Amino acid sequence: TNRECASHMLRKKLPFLHSLLSPVSRHVGHLTGHQYDVIVVGGGHAGTEAAAAAARVGAETLLITQKIHTIGALSCNPSLGGVGKGQLVKEVDALDGLCGRAGDWAGIHFSILNRRKGPAVWGPRAQLDRQRYRDFIQSELLSTPRLTMVEGSVEELLVTEPNPEEPGHHRVTGIRLANGSHAISARSVVLTTGTFLSGSLFVGQTTSPGGRIGDAPSSAGLSHTLRERLGLRTGRLRTGTPPRIVKDSVDLSLAKLHLPDSHPTPFSFLNTHTHCKPEEQLPCYLTFTTPGVERVVRESLQLNCHIQQDTKGPRYCPSIESRVLRFPGRSHQVWLEPEGVTSDLLYPQGLSMTMPPDIQLRLIREIPPMRRAEIHTPGYGVQYDFVCPTQLSPALQVKSTQGLFLAGQINGTTGYEEAAAQGLWAGANAARSALSMPTVTLSRTESYIGVLIDDLVSRGVTEPYRMFTSRAEFRTSLRPDNADLRLTPKGFEEVGCVSSVRYQESLRVRNSLQDALTALQALFLSTSSWKKKLPSVPISETKSTLLTGLDLLQYNDVTFEMLASAFPESLSSFMEFAQRLKIEAVYKPHCDLNKKEIERIQREENMSLPQDIDYFSLPVSLSDEVREILDRVRPSTLGAATRLEGITPAAVVNLLNYVRVTEKKKETHRNQRQQEHTLKF
Amino acid sequence: MLPLRPVCGGIWRAAVHTVRMSRGAPPYRLFSSTCDGAPAALADADTIFALSSGHGRCGVAVVRVSGPASATALRCMAGFTQRLPPPRTALLRSITDPRSTEVLDRGLVLWFPGSVPGLRPAEAGEFTRRAFQAGKLGLTEVEGLGDLIHAETEAQRRQALRQMSGELGRLYQDWSDRLKRCLAHVEAFIDFSEDELIEDGVLNRVDVSVSDLQAEIERHLKDERRGERLRSGVQVVIAGATNAGKSSLLNKLCQRPAAIVSPIAGTTRDVVETALDLGGFPVLLSDTAGLRDSSDLVEREGVRRARERVEQADLTLVVVDSAHLPSEVDRAAAFLREHLRSVLPDTDRCLLVLNKADLLPEKQRQKLDTELRGVSGLPAVRLISCQTNEGLKAFLTVLHSSVKTLCGDPLFGAPTLTQARHRAHLQRCAAALAQYQRYRDTDLALAAEGVRLAVTSLGRITGRVGAEEILDIIFKDFCIGK
Repeated sequence: TNRECASHMLRKKLPFLHSLLSPVSRHVGHLTGHQYDVIVVGGGHAGTEAAAAAARVGAETLLITQKIHTIGALSCNPSLGGVGKGQLVKEVDALDGLCGRAGDWAGIHFSILNRRKGPAVWGPRAQLDRQRYRDFIQSELLSTPRLTMVEGSVEELLVTEPNPEEPGHHRVTGIRLANGSHAISARSVVLTTGTFLSGSLFVGQTTSPGGRIGDAPSSAGLSHTLRERLGLRTGRLRTGTPPRIVKDSVDLSLAKLHLPDSHPTPFSFLNTHTHCKPEEQLPCYLTFTTPGVERVVRESLQLNCHIQQDTKGPRYCPSIESRVLRFPGRSHQVWLEPEGVTSDLLYPQGLSMTMPPDIQLRLIREIPPMRRAEIHTPGYGVQYDFVCPTQLSPALQVKSTQGLFLAGQINGTTGYEEAAAQGLWAGANAARSALSMPTVTLSRTESYIGVLIDDLVSRGVTEPYRMFTSRAEFRTSLRPDNADLRLTPKGFEEVGCVSSVRYQESLRVRNSLQDALTALQALFLSTSSWKKKLPSVPISETKSTLLTGLDLLQYNDVTFEMLASAFPESLSSFMEFAQRLKIEAVYKPHCDLNKKEIERIQREENMSLPQDIDYFSLPVSLSDEVREILDRVRPSTLGAATRLEGITPAAVVNLLNYVRVTEKKKETHRNQRQQEHTLKF
Repeated sequence: MLPLRPVCGGIWRAAVHTVRMSRGAPPYRLFSSTCDGAPAALADADTIFALSSGHGRCGVAVVRVSGPASATALRCMAGFTQRLPPPRTALLRSITDPRSTEVLDRGLVLWFPGSVPGLRPAEAGEFTRRAFQAGKLGLTEVEGLGDLIHAETEAQRRQALRQMSGELGRLYQDWSDRLKRCLAHVEAFIDFSEDELIEDGVLNRVDVSVSDLQAEIERHLKDERRGERLRSGVQVVIAGATNAGKSSLLNKLCQRPAAIVSPIAGTTRDVVETALDLGGFPVLLSDTAGLRDSSDLVEREGVRRARERVEQADLTLVVVDSAHLPSEVDRAAAFLREHLRSVLPDTDRCLLVLNKADLLPEKQRQKLDTELRGVSGLPAVRLISCQTNEGLKAFLTVLHSSVKTLCGDPLFGAPTLTQARHRAHLQRCAAALAQYQRYRDTDLALAAEGVRLAVTSLGRITGRVGAEEILDIIFKDFCIGK
């Protein structure tokens, strides 16, 4: 019945948004003086996941955004998932987030990338219909209990005066809106300002303030509070988006047709199929740059402010300009992607550019299918402030400001999936903090979200951070297929951000998989018996040992279906999990090897380092270099400290030793005080 | 006393400083044990011991014990039955066999409570783990432990640097660079080939690189332990029939009466060891009991030990009494071949020493000396007389060149392994590369896992490789978009 319930979710009709939205949220007057548990600032991928997660955990939540109708907008590419990013989507879904289900609703072209490279690195991906995606997110938020949405611009973050006992430490109390002097109080605030924090847009030689084309940046007051009031270190990052092309003006017969999977695989563990029918899917097209593209870039360099400022740019190539300049004389791929079922635009992935619009047109016309193409909206660059994420705890809370959480591009990341993952985790923790529950962390040994957050808070960023599978040490254990087993029970039992419907479903799956593996291991036959049962499989008979069904399933040519038809009585009831069982069997030996290392790391991560240590005056033997690193990064656990470059084993032991002594002293002191206290009365 | 694995490190150290015992050991044998009192909760925290000074040329021996049972070892071997000695204080103790309570030696005992990093680079985080476990046992009482650890890791680092700055270091660094590039290219293929232009040829190049590297590392591992010999000494064993003059040869070689010499057959009943420097190469020379069937239990045990030594030897000097040789050269060769078979499992690594040459008539002596050279099936043959020193110089030249070959002349040829620890990591590295080959066509994620393991294993010698370093290579070699 859970499964039926799950597939119902997709069939649910989306409400008439506009009639619903206007009365609820355009007027903010009635909110003044209202006390919320959590306020989320921003309605992008991070903000929507944060607001929904906070509400799921049980917090009265308010989402504030500049324009209600842009909630859930895809500002850049019309796609979700991919290699590494797809893992994040699966994990967000396993924690009951929105983006997986939204992708299943809005997807118009589904494919599993890396299909031939091993299930651990499969990358579920979909092209999206922008309108459908937005509709789904807005509808979902509207139907979320305890969640209110309001249109407005946040002028100021309200914080207490610094705590005299802990200088520099504040507590968040709410926000003040720009229009009028509305103050809305909250115990937790999640900032997901994306590219809007002191954002400026670049096209050619013109620069204008803004967070996205057509949208003003967030107010200067907010940046001021973060930097001046809270003393947070910030940096500046850049990104860009390509021009949108009028579809009818492109000769797609000159590009290579790229079809989706014939059977779309949904992102969500709750969905058995996608909203879009297999035959309704739209194709993508692949084309290549020509030497003419490189020529146009070179000729227009002096007219291109954004690229000229590329002094300390990222290591990868964020724009077509950087591609042809760093890898000259080559042909570069350009994907032409649909923007939606009814959209008459194409998104040219790989052609982010910031040159003046007339030159953008010249450039794209150097690419054969776009010889006569028209630009609907020119590409542009964005520069924005980010807060150095090493100032955050693994709960994504600003270490020095109780109740202030940050998620998404404000933390120096790039990408929808990275933003959604942080949003969910920050929102859940903001709610827990507001409801006086301890914050929770995810380890890099159990999830890509954990890898993402650990990399951010313990290493910081020098370029927009994007998820790659190569960042995950335990990639063979952190697979897209098992995200539910890894995270859903924890999300329900420890975090509170997972509905009981999903929780029950994950338990059913877990138990079934366990039963199936047990049944496979109970099949214990000699090689010759196996040969009789499965004549097509090349089983070496030289080994006289007995083999289990699980051993057999590890063979390349053996599928669970084959075993189930050979042993229908014990296996046929598990057919629904055929693919997952095959993957489990193949990866089991490697995951077992990982396990010991994972347990060791988790032990070290359970040892927290106090956040208020003054590393420079610490009376222990540490080199200046080590002190500097520790002070800069302020690792929250011993595990995080060991992973830092430049931290020696000796430093770790000294640190550990010091922490233990101090803890003991503190405890003794506390006991003494308590005794004195008791004596007085 | 063989190390279970090449490891040291831990919490206490017992150093035993002994007056040399009679059997040809270095003038001072300093046993030192480092014991680590981590609780047994950790399955992998087994108690480990090793001779941490090298064999051969060292004047003192240091034995280190590390692990949860090291306190027990200290109690039952150094007589601390009531309580453990004060930390970091050297005490002169009798070291006894815990079962027979026989006194084995006397030496200095040092006890270091707390966790000390070993002379192998700590596995990532392992150090902390041990430290943590040790902390439960009162690490906090030991002030300055960190400094000690620091000094040790510094010494370790410098030692590693010295080793790594040479030809061997360059070799490992080259492997490391190539491996990193392999990993970067596999990772790029996994993470980016679906969106970006990463040609299929990339993986084919990785295939070639991986199999080249695997072959090179395996070849290097087959260097017949030359580097380790250089560090620990070449095991040279003197073997042969009773009363052939084996002990006399030992005494000649070490230029002092290390072994008792008498005309009575079967004088030497146990293995007598002595360390010597042979033209700059460390040699651990052992004299063994004469090989014969005996009804004497002690002598039979001596013969058993002698045969055991011969099997473990890097080089065996088979000593033959020249007087027992048939006078005809042809028959002499056959006799020697037969004799060798009774002494040695194989004749690859031995020198034939015909002793008591002074007892032969001059004519026969010359005939043997010239004609036995180059006879097929016989190793190098030298006639000597321990009595008159005749032929001894020529014999030493042959011995020296054999030892030099075994050590690998550092001035020529491929660099050799100097540490068993390196060997272990390299073996793991080669095995991991085999994993790449195994999964290459079926599951690239598992194949890449093999390259990752290989990089980690080699990284234990050349330094840890982080994900960022791999990304640096990816972004340098491939055009990766936003």
